[in-house]
Parts: sequence; structure tokens; C-alpha cells
Amino acid sequence: MEILKTIAKKSPIWIAYLAALLGLPLIFDSILAISIFNQMAIGIVFALSYNMLLGQGGMLSFGHAVYFGLGGFLAVHTLILIEFETVYFSIIFIPVIGGVIGLLAAIFIGSFSTRKAGTVFAMISLGIGELIAASSLIFSDFFGGEAGISGDRTYGPTFFGVDFAQNDQIYYVAAIWVFIATLFMYLFTQTPAGRMANAVRDNPERAEFIGYSSRRIRFISFCASGLFAGIAGGLFALNYEFITEENLNAATSGRVLLMAYIGGLGYFIGPIIGAVVLTLMNSLLSNYTELWMLYLGIMFLLTVIYLPRGFAGFIMMHQVAWINNRLRSLAIPYLLIGLPSLVLLAGIIAMVEMSDHEGEAFHYLGFELDPESFITWAIVAGFSLAAYAGVRAALPQLKEAWESANAVPDSKDSKS
Amino acid sequence: MSILTLNNISKSFGETEIIRGIDLAIEDGEKHAIIGPNGAGKSTLFHLISGLHNVTGGSIVFKNQEIQNRPPFEISRLGLARSFQVTNIFHRMSVFENVRCALLWSKGFRYSFWHLLGRQSELNDAAMHVLEEIGLSDQAQYPAGELAYAAQRALELGIAIASGADLIMLDEPVAGMSISEAENAVELIRKVTSGKTLIMVEHDMNIVFDIADRISVLVYGKIIATDVPEKIRANPQVQEAYLGEVASSA
Repeated sequence: MEILKTIAKKSPIWIAYLAALLGLPLIFDSILAISIFNQMAIGIVFALSYNMLLGQGGMLSFGHAVYFGLGGFLAVHTLILIEFETVYFSIIFIPVIGGVIGLLAAIFIGSFSTRKAGTVFAMISLGIGELIAASSLIFSDFFGGEAGISGDRTYGPTFFGVDFAQNDQIYYVAAIWVFIATLFMYLFTQTPAGRMANAVRDNPERAEFIGYSSRRIRFISFCASGLFAGIAGGLFALNYEFITEENLNAATSGRVLLMAYIGGLGYFIGPIIGAVVLTLMNSLLSNYTELWMLYLGIMFLLTVIYLPRGFAGFIMMHQVAWINNRLRSLAIPYLLIGLPSLVLLAGIIAMVEMSDHEGEAFHYLGFELDPESFITWAIVAGFSLAAYAGVRAALPQLKEAWESANAVPDSKDSKS
Repeated sequence: MSILTLNNISKSFGETEIIRGIDLAIEDGEKHAIIGPNGAGKSTLFHLISGLHNVTGGSIVFKNQEIQNRPPFEISRLGLARSFQVTNIFHRMSVFENVRCALLWSKGFRYSFWHLLGRQSELNDAAMHVLEEIGLSDQAQYPAGELAYAAQRALELGIAIASGADLIMLDEPVAGMSISEAENAVELIRKVTSGKTLIMVEHDMNIVFDIADRISVLVYGKIIATDVPEKIRANPQVQEAYLGEVASSA
């Protein structure tokens, strides 16, 4: 009952979220779109579970893929068991298997890794990550070696006649799980253990003097995080029907850190934004350029330097202007700086791509670029320089508009 | 009856002996001040009692239980609360959340992840009540780290007293405050500790003689005198060791 009332208070947001999750495939129904939505669904749950550690609990982990991967491996093994009729239940419950395994792994590993936060925790997470990844290649009966293991989600009882052979069918299963997982991760932040996780993040010493063991609080967050990472792993298993060592190694751990960080660690919605943006870049950009990893890296750097609170932090920066009812005064300055910025970005990307194309001409934004032609280089460089000058010229106006939009009206208590 | 008894406790960091055999009995309900020159071991003594540091020798008895070398959270649960000399708050959380977290254990929520805090009206009312007492109800929703210094000190005190502990230990509660801020802080301390036992470390002698029922003088890890304020003021040993130093430096 308590749960229902809390949801009811914020219900428009939750209803919109559910509608977006369920409605997206009706608007974008291509095979590519459905495949991207499935990746997003997995990414959202995984990145939110990571944020329970770093954003809310102050634990920097370099090995979060362990819980995702172990959950996923057990989920694929369960698919195989269903296929051979050793067990008999609908595959829509597979994410539960992933979650239970993620939780069990987190209980075991967390029992010693959460003793300290900070560098010690980070190093242990790195060590465990390497250990599990290396073990997975050694114990090839269970992990399938480098090829991994694969299953088939079309066995077992059908769900009201649906056999989940199609990707869009499995998407709806994923969407429901994403909604449930998001809801419970949000509710966790509203509980005593969830709030004390913030307190321990801010000041583990003081937390001990108000009656709480910092270690125990970290352990609880860690277990919850492992549970939801495992659910994400189960969703991965359902979507791809195979899993390999790659899904529990350091690269996957790094990717989830990127998602949560770029989206914004300090905000509950941050990792959702991060998962959506990174999945889009990952799937769409890689169709256009071989250099997409480079662009991703540059975007991460720029985010860390200029938007340390991520995309969600950038949106929340406009809260004061919104309260002051001055958001509209920012539109024209944003436009004036946005257009030359886009041209500058396009120019820089053109030059990077020309360097990469080894003398072959290629099409770019409707133009034909020839890397061997001096004139092409000169024109692109000229546009870029002009755009840069435009950005510089527009900057003071934006600054002025920003300051006037964010001016705090004479309030009784000044916050210094 | 004494609520807290220190029996010959000592503390060494490596070769250096900081606390050199302290015996002290704090009576239930008394306001006790600990004074002494810089480096006498006042803060270390606080850390030993509250569990931040382990003792090297001796025993500490709080409400008939030995508490030496137990972790801070266990000592806190018995009803011993403390503040810190350097402001020690949850800076990214709101002022309200700071106080509410300080109330959680005493209200019986323990490590629950099945209660939703928004629904706990008794808890939330109690937190607002503490904020009113410390005069921060207007700033309830601000991040604690953005408060002015005096307000942060008030919050520091609020976190300590929120749980309703019987013994409250304050480490230099008015250090760094202006005269008027300090006056307000003293009023606040008097109000929130009424009916409770208070142990306080403080350098400002006016405040010490104003608040304390008894004073202990700590010099180089030993208590050289424990008595009522008038007798402490008249004690020649104390004057030589401590008050003389204040007079000469003033």
C-alpha cells in the first residue's frame, strides 16, 4: 500500500515513462530500431544499477560487469535447461534467474570488498573483475571459452500464444522488466537504507556516530546493485540468446561507468539518459564511421571537463531559470551559439575523417570530400575557423543572458 | 549515580603517550567541561570515549556497560552522541535529510529497505521539530554544504542531539564563531541539552564557567583537577598550568 501511494504522488512521470517504453516500437518499428530499443532496455537497468554504487553509495567500481555477466551466463544456461525440458517455466521469468545470481555473487564478493570505500574498494573491484574474466576463459565447460554459450528463447511454455521468436516480442518483455526494475531502484532511494547510502557516501565517519555501520550500509547497496545488474544480464541473455566472456570483462565494466557518468551520477534519471545516448551513438554512429570510438572518447572527456554532473546535470542547471520563468530568454543566445558550434563540429569531424580516408574521396553531409585536394582542406578549415569566430562572438551574449536569467531575486536568506 | 566512568585509561600513538591514565566519573545530568592547553589530549579523550580510537589501557563504563574499543555505531546506539571540532556533516544532502538520517536508528528503522521515508509522518515531524529547535527550518531543503558556517555548526549540533541521546559530547561547539553567533550557540546548547548529561571541550572560559557544573583540567594527558568552577578558578596548580597561560597570551 505504501508503495502505491508513493508512486501515485509522482504518477504522471511514471505513467509517461511506461508509455514511452511501450509506445516507442509503435512509432519506430524497423528491425534496427527494435534492436536499438532492446539494447537501451538492457543499458538502462545496468547503468541504473551502477549508479546505486557510484552515484548513491560513493563506491567506484571497475568490475560491475561481473554481476551482469554471471547473471547472463546463468540465464543462458537456464534457457538451455528449458530447451531440454529439465525445467519448465516461461522464459519471461529468466531475468529473475539473472537477478538471483547477481545478488548471490554480490553477497559473496561484497562481504569483503565493501569493508572500505575509495581506492581500496576500486582496486578490489578491478581485481575481482580480472579474476572472473580470466576464470571464464579457463572453465570453458561452464563459460564456453571464447565462443561463449548460446541458447534459444523460443522453448518452454508460450506466454498467451507468444513464443518470442521475434525481437519486438522480446522487447515488450524487456520493457516491463525495465519498468519494474527502475521503479524498485527508485523506491530503494526512498528507504532508510537508501538514504543512509547517501550519508555514508558523503561522510562515512559521521554515519558511524548516528548508529550506522558504514560497512553494512555499503554492503546493502552493493547487494541491491548486484541484483539489478544480474537482471540486466538476464535481459541481455533473452535478447541475444548468447553470452561470452566479453560481457563480464573490464570493457563492459568500463562501458557502464561511461553510461552512468555521461548521463549524470548525481541524478536518478542520469543513467537512463546515459544509456539512451550511448546506445544511440554505439548503434547509429558505427554505421557511418569507423572512428566512432574516438568520438565517444572525446565526448566522455568533454563531459568530464565541462559537464562534471553529466547531461542530467546540464538539464538541471536550468532549474533556477525555470523557476524565474526566464527560460525563453535563453533560446536566442543558445541558437546563436548552437549554429556555429554545429558548423565547427562538422568541420572538425570532416578534417578528422579526411585524415582517416587515406586519399579516397567520400561523401559527407551531401558534399564530396577529397582528402588529396588542397582546396577541400582549405575550404573545410576556412568554414571551421569562421564557425569558431562565430562561437567566440556569441559567447558574451549567452553569458549575459545566463546571468540575468539565473539572478536570484532578493531572498530573505542568502545562500552563500 | 555516574553515567560514565573512565578507569585509568591511556592512549599511545606509537611511542608517544597522549593520554596517561585518566580516572573520571561523570554524574547523570551534570554539565561537565574539559579544559586544558593545546595538545593536552582533549580531542583524543573524546575520540576514545566515542569509539573513534581504541584505548591502549583501562576501561570506559557507560550505563553499566564497558564500551572501550567498541565501534562508534554500537556506542552511539547506547545513547551517547557527539559533535566534532571540525564541521562533520553530510554536505551533499539537504539539511532536512541530515537530521532525518540522524533520527533513523533511534526511531527503530535500522537497515530497513522496505519502509518508505516519505510515509513516516512521525519521523518527518520529529526531524522538523529538531530543525525548529536549532533554528534551521527555513533552510530545510538547502544542501547542507551550502549553509553559512554558524548554520553548519548548528546543524552539527542538531545531528548530535537528534537521536535523543542521554549523554552529549560537544567538541569546541563555538570555535570560529563571532561573539554574537557564540552567544546564540550557547543559548542553543543550553536549550537542547537541558535534562541531559553534557561533556564539553571549550576554549572560551566565559562559556565554560557559564555552562559547566564541574570542570576537569587536562594537562599533558592527565587530569590535574576536577571541581566546581569557583574552586577551579582558585586552584593554584590550575592557574599555573592553564589559566596563567591564557592570561599571558591575552
